[in-house]
Amino acid sequence: MALRQIRIMGDTILEKVCRPVKEMTPRTKELIGDMLETMYDANGVGLAAPQVGILKRIVVIDIGEGPLVLINPEILETSGEQTGQEGCLSLPGQAGIVTRPNHVKIRAYNEDMEQFELEGEELLARAICHECDHLDGIMYVRHVEGDLFDVEAEEEESEE
Amino acid sequence: MTKPVNLREIILETLMEITEEEAYSHIVIRNVLEKYQYLEKRDRAFISRTTEGTLEHMIQLDYIIEQFSNVPVYNMKPLIRNLLRMSVYQLKYMDSVPDSAVCNEAVRLAQRKGFYNLKGFVNGVLRNIARRLYQVQYPDPAQEPLHYLSVKYSFPIWMLDKWVAQFGYEVTEKICRESHMERGTTVRCNLEKASKEEIIASLKSQNIMVSQHPYLDYALVISGYNYMKAVTAFRKGWITVQDVSSMLVTEVAAPNWGDYCLDVCAAPGGKSLHLADKLMGSGYVEARDISEYKVKLMQSNIERTGAINIRAVVRDATIYDPESHQRADIVLADLPCSGLGVIGRKQDIKYKMSEKKQGDIIRLQRKILNIVQDYVRPGGVLVFSTCTIGADENQYNVKWFLENYPFRLESIDSYICDELKSRTTQGGFLQLLPGIHQSDGFFFARFRRLEDAGTRYDETMRNVEPEGAYL
Repeated sequence: MALRQIRIMGDTILEKVCRPVKEMTPRTKELIGDMLETMYDANGVGLAAPQVGILKRIVVIDIGEGPLVLINPEILETSGEQTGQEGCLSLPGQAGIVTRPNHVKIRAYNEDMEQFELEGEELLARAICHECDHLDGIMYVRHVEGDLFDVEAEEEESEE
Repeated sequence: MTKPVNLREIILETLMEITEEEAYSHIVIRNVLEKYQYLEKRDRAFISRTTEGTLEHMIQLDYIIEQFSNVPVYNMKPLIRNLLRMSVYQLKYMDSVPDSAVCNEAVRLAQRKGFYNLKGFVNGVLRNIARRLYQVQYPDPAQEPLHYLSVKYSFPIWMLDKWVAQFGYEVTEKICRESHMERGTTVRCNLEKASKEEIIASLKSQNIMVSQHPYLDYALVISGYNYMKAVTAFRKGWITVQDVSSMLVTEVAAPNWGDYCLDVCAAPGGKSLHLADKLMGSGYVEARDISEYKVKLMQSNIERTGAINIRAVVRDATIYDPESHQRADIVLADLPCSGLGVIGRKQDIKYKMSEKKQGDIIRLQRKILNIVQDYVRPGGVLVFSTCTIGADENQYNVKWFLENYPFRLESIDSYICDELKSRTTQGGFLQLLPGIHQSDGFFFARFRRLEDAGTRYDETMRNVEPEGAYL
């Protein structure tokens, strides 16, 4: 397993629509492992395959409750609304306010290509929507309300 | 997607830095608020209130936790112990946060921080506390008075023990109670720049509440402002933020026209600037401090006020400077101290101080006094001050100083208001106590060097050992 290079906004690969995964191969398995490693290394909660330059419909998510691998995810239904801060590993140091559904229900395949359904709320729902957007070439900045802002710590000397 | 900020995680990390590493609370909290400037005001207020409140009541929170946990707090994993503390603070002191939210968030945070196996423990302890908080039995004031004070006001027993011996039980309780009170900010009017009436009018026009401080005519107490840098009178340099106790030090130093003053531990420079002000542009103030960074800060403050009779210099007060030998009319020795007089504003001081550390501080104070007393000209004045309370760093140092050096105490009654006069002020020193006086806890004494005394400073550093049992 290895860390992969995260593509930064401006890279055209982030604007393309990804192809579905037809079968599980050792190469794809390796890709999934690398994606998880890359996500944890970057301190992220979600990563989509195009963010590491692969146009496949694969998403990994971990909001602190264990890793989740979604292959060919489809959003079946959404409800509610949440408005809050969102950031992306492909646009480091920035964040913006985005409104997303508060609850989503999806269907996807796992690493053994078995189909399953999953429901998520709040942060998980937000992460699913954000990552599924990536598979269709959409960055979250398209949804941002108002301006993006800097979230990098400013180094400033303190008094005393 | 990147990890979203979690307010409670920020609070937990801030507490870890303050309680488990030796970082100072006011600096850490200020840096955190600066870093998360982009968060909403409400979120930032939640961070600062929960962090400060948890520190303020830490001994009490630990006491409550130990009523419900088989593991004593000091045996817990540091992360878990701080997580429980901040959660119990929210349960007990923040009515706006539902109990279920406190418990759920704590469990989630424990898990996210890699303590999956302690999830059940955190959940169990917190839910029990949430349910039975009102049944907690606190120590009985009649049976165990010190333990009662310690848990009620979150002060370490050894400190209370000393205070009760010196000030009595009632005064000690008042000091403790005062440290939990909200107080306005005291400011000094720079009367060179504007009259008091102009300053009050300017403050009132910004809807800031202003009241006169009883101890000094040019001291005002203000409250109800949001951000000091947005206050017009402050931006124009009309007011300086300073506790009234430090203004009194300059009053007691009482410089005469043309005096050469030496402030040996000057940063952040409030007292030095006040001295320069009092000299009305005459004489000279040398504001010394050990760190280059602090001196630069002072220098920029000096430039802002435009004072010409003052300069900031980097100099270590523990190293003898032969050029200053008996040169100063006034030496101001506002020494490093345990800071127990300002606990109301820096809550972590009370937990970080220990008798051993206090012993080290006293040795340092005496080392500095031994050196800087030599800078006072015969007939000149030395003012010694600390922002702490208790005889060890104050009265005992005065006694030690008089026994070893050719100085005598001099009455300070002519420099202070009637309300503060007492037998000790006639003798030449004053201990201000929070809760008794309307100021921080503070101590100052005024000495005059005897005319015919010729001794230099003592290189052998005899006798700097503090009295009492310091290890």
